[in-house]
Amino acid sequence: MKTETFSQLDKVIHEKGRMAIMSSLSSNPDLSFKELKNLLQMTDGNLSVHIRTLQQAGYVAVSKSFLANRPHTSYRLTREGQSAFKAYIELLAQIVEWNQD
Amino acid sequence: MADTSVKMVDTRTLYCKVIYIVNSEWAAQRLVEIQTLMERSTLYRRALAPTTTLTGCMGMAAAWLGWSMPITEGRPFCLFWMATSLCCLILAGLMIRRQAWVAEESFWSPPTRRVAMAMLPALCCGGGLGMLAITQENLPEIFYWGLPPLWMLFYGCALFSAGFFMPRGIKLFGSLFVLTGLLLLSRAVLGSVDGVLPSMAHAHIIMGCSFGFMHFAYGIYLFMTENTSTLES
Repeated sequence: MKTETFSQLDKVIHEKGRMAIMSSLSSNPDLSFKELKNLLQMTDGNLSVHIRTLQQAGYVAVSKSFLANRPHTSYRLTREGQSAFKAYIELLAQIVEWNQD
Repeated sequence: MADTSVKMVDTRTLYCKVIYIVNSEWAAQRLVEIQTLMERSTLYRRALAPTTTLTGCMGMAAAWLGWSMPITEGRPFCLFWMATSLCCLILAGLMIRRQAWVAEESFWSPPTRRVAMAMLPALCCGGGLGMLAITQENLPEIFYWGLPPLWMLFYGCALFSAGFFMPRGIKLFGSLFVLTGLLLLSRAVLGSVDGVLPSMAHAHIIMGCSFGFMHFAYGIYLFMTENTSTLES
């Protein structure tokens, strides 16, 4: 049961960079590419790849708009992403709790 | 033979236990990491444009009032501008409170608390200097002339600190205040060395241009850049 728990951890969120993106987006209604880049100190390429993976998994939604006549891309967690992230955290908490018992 | 199998079982059990403890420690670390990331990335976005525009308008109006009255003595100058800043602070607080109420959010939210805490030390220094100027008598004229640039310096530092939790160029705006403060402070010091310090009425113009106009311009910039049109979702 306990060893199975580790395999239940969502592989998409499990990666460090993607977990950081999910954490940042979960505490904000939306974040722009620039804001995410500054917050997480990631390169453009790295951030794009991770966001694309999250987008493909249906965890992140992208919206494109214009801000002061410049293209502006912002990201937010989808409902699916929110519940997946919540489940991931709950699983981590469960692992910690079992050790304390 | 039996002894060996018992030993093997024990070793395997121990191995699993160690692996499990290591993993649970790792899980705890991950949770802390997530918590830190979530706290760090919660950006403060509330009422920036209206509060900065209002502060700018009040600053410019106060500068005009101070210039036209005119308030030329050091202590009344400090009292006047301390009162103005207090009014701006109260009005900004009310606007933020209203926005939080409309958005059905708590006013003293974690991002608000973080921004307030980041700004507090520098603002206290500036306020402390102002209180010193109000309460003490017979201070040299250079002290009063040095106050506007020092206020700018402290205010700029406060904005810069707050910029770690706020988006939209607050750090740059704070740096602009620091730079202006430094330039004016060096000018005031040089003026005192030469023995030519202009009337305190001029200090109102400096306050109006810096705290008034700079806030107003930044507020307008924020208003203009806030109007977005979504292309696709």
